[in-house]
Amino acid sequence: MKKPQRLNLSELNLGPVKRPYVVLMLEIIGRGLEAASQVDEKIRREVERLPPGFMFEMRVLPNGPRMVMEKTEQGQLQYLGRQAPRTPDVSLKFKHLTHAFLVFSFQEGTAQAFANDRLLLDGDIGYSMKLVRCLNRMESMILPKFVAQRALKRYPTLSLPEKLLGGSRIYSRLAKNLVWN
Amino acid sequence: MTKSYYEFFCPVKIVAGHAALEHIPYELSTLAASRPMIITDKGVRAAGLLEHVQGAFAEGDMEVVEIFDDVPPDSSTTVVETIAELYRERGCDSLIAVGGGSVIDTSKGVNILVSENASRLADFSGVGVLKKPLKPFFVIPTTAGTGSEVTLVAVVNDPVKGVKLPFTSYFLLPNAAILDPRMTLTLPAHITAMTAMDAMTHAVEAFTCMAKNPISDAYAVSAIGKISSNLIPVLNKPDDEAGRLELAQASTMAGIAFSNSMVGLVHSLGHSLGALCHLPHGLCMNLFLPYVLEYNLPQRREAIGELLLPLAGAEIYARTPAAQRADAAISTIRGLRDELHRRCQLPRTLAETGKVNREQLPKLAEMALDDGSILFNPVEVDLDDALAILERAW
Repeated sequence: MKKPQRLNLSELNLGPVKRPYVVLMLEIIGRGLEAASQVDEKIRREVERLPPGFMFEMRVLPNGPRMVMEKTEQGQLQYLGRQAPRTPDVSLKFKHLTHAFLVFSFQEGTAQAFANDRLLLDGDIGYSMKLVRCLNRMESMILPKFVAQRALKRYPTLSLPEKLLGGSRIYSRLAKNLVWN
Repeated sequence: MTKSYYEFFCPVKIVAGHAALEHIPYELSTLAASRPMIITDKGVRAAGLLEHVQGAFAEGDMEVVEIFDDVPPDSSTTVVETIAELYRERGCDSLIAVGGGSVIDTSKGVNILVSENASRLADFSGVGVLKKPLKPFFVIPTTAGTGSEVTLVAVVNDPVKGVKLPFTSYFLLPNAAILDPRMTLTLPAHITAMTAMDAMTHAVEAFTCMAKNPISDAYAVSAIGKISSNLIPVLNKPDDEAGRLELAQASTMAGIAFSNSMVGLVHSLGHSLGALCHLPHGLCMNLFLPYVLEYNLPQRREAIGELLLPLAGAEIYARTPAAQRADAAISTIRGLRDELHRRCQLPRTLAETGKVNREQLPKLAEMALDDGSILFNPVEVDLDDALAILERAW
């Protein structure tokens, strides 16, 4: 019997879908972080230690897709969309659309992307590390384990109820936010 | 392990060896510079090291237009702006940093201001803000540890905002690093040991962390070999010029390695310890190195095992079974630390520093998580992990 072949994304012609996919993923990350900062205790604790009005962006150089977020007066993260009202305090910049696609299609973990010089970090390092932890936590909660394991250095120890409950809280908050906004 | 993608860059000319200082006038002339300013500190001046540099210029028919010798250990934007003003007043056209990390970072800051014809250093903080080459800039290291002579980063205190401003640009790399054994010949034993262990840690982390690549690996392995072979002989015979040069070269090679491969958890913990308890950077590196290697063993057993060769030599490497090489490499580092503790009282544990309270460990762990180098550590680290390592290092 012929062994089933594992899907290799690099062999597919994904050129035309890269941009819309990255745009969509940045929106999902922005909305997901917004929701997670409202319901997940660990992410809330990280956001608490960011300064009031703190603003950050993830973007693709030179003028590619972009996602901007800000810390609200209520101490949560708010997704601002693609425009920043001022220069963000921290900027995570992918050097090229393909590099963002590699990360967002979970072919390359976030830390590996930094190690491979795909990502530039501009701004306060301490705040940036908090953001990276928030992203990691959100990914571990909302993604299936086999996908999150590709994105993270180490998948955290999460009980099934913790994972299901935490993930569903974030998803339901995300849905509510989408409806209200 | 093959790395799917990497970058490597080091355009710094290395001018190294006997009478290296005497090459400076010619090297400056190739960059169309003839009116250098020297930036240094009181310690370098008091140790008489500047005389070697001035002698090289006098015999080379080139005048040192200005010497600023008052860079403090923890430099600031104010100091940088003062020096830049002096540079302009005296009509200098190039910079020579003579010293350690603080002098070199200060000089990089000065070069930004005088090249951009600006007065506020803070305006250039960040990644890639500089867009054009700066003035000719040489570095003469007087310690063998920081590797700042080949790094593209500078960190300068902003006393007004109370923050450390980072500057990252390829244009901050010096045109040349001058490694002359005369410049490190009089280093006291404990500083020689501390700075060598700083360089050792740069090389070990470059070789074992996530951004390792084949070219920086070559520099890292060579640096580790040079330190392992020369540190104790130099402590035995401090005026050993050849050994001093080997340590200086090792420091530069380790600097080239880590500026391309980054560093990991030893630095995250070490930066935090240095900031909270005001301990020298090299001491912190020496303290945490084996504990972090043990923590990283599950992910990096093979890479750490490979380091047994430069650490202990071919014979020991050959007779150690492959499965035991990583543990043997860590034991060798522990053995070197024991020897340095016996000779120079270089602390191996947090308790031995006499400057850390056990109650500070949670704060240290928290600070380490916010350090950028933790991103490149091969094993994920959370608060409990960091605290557990600190407890082991107690």
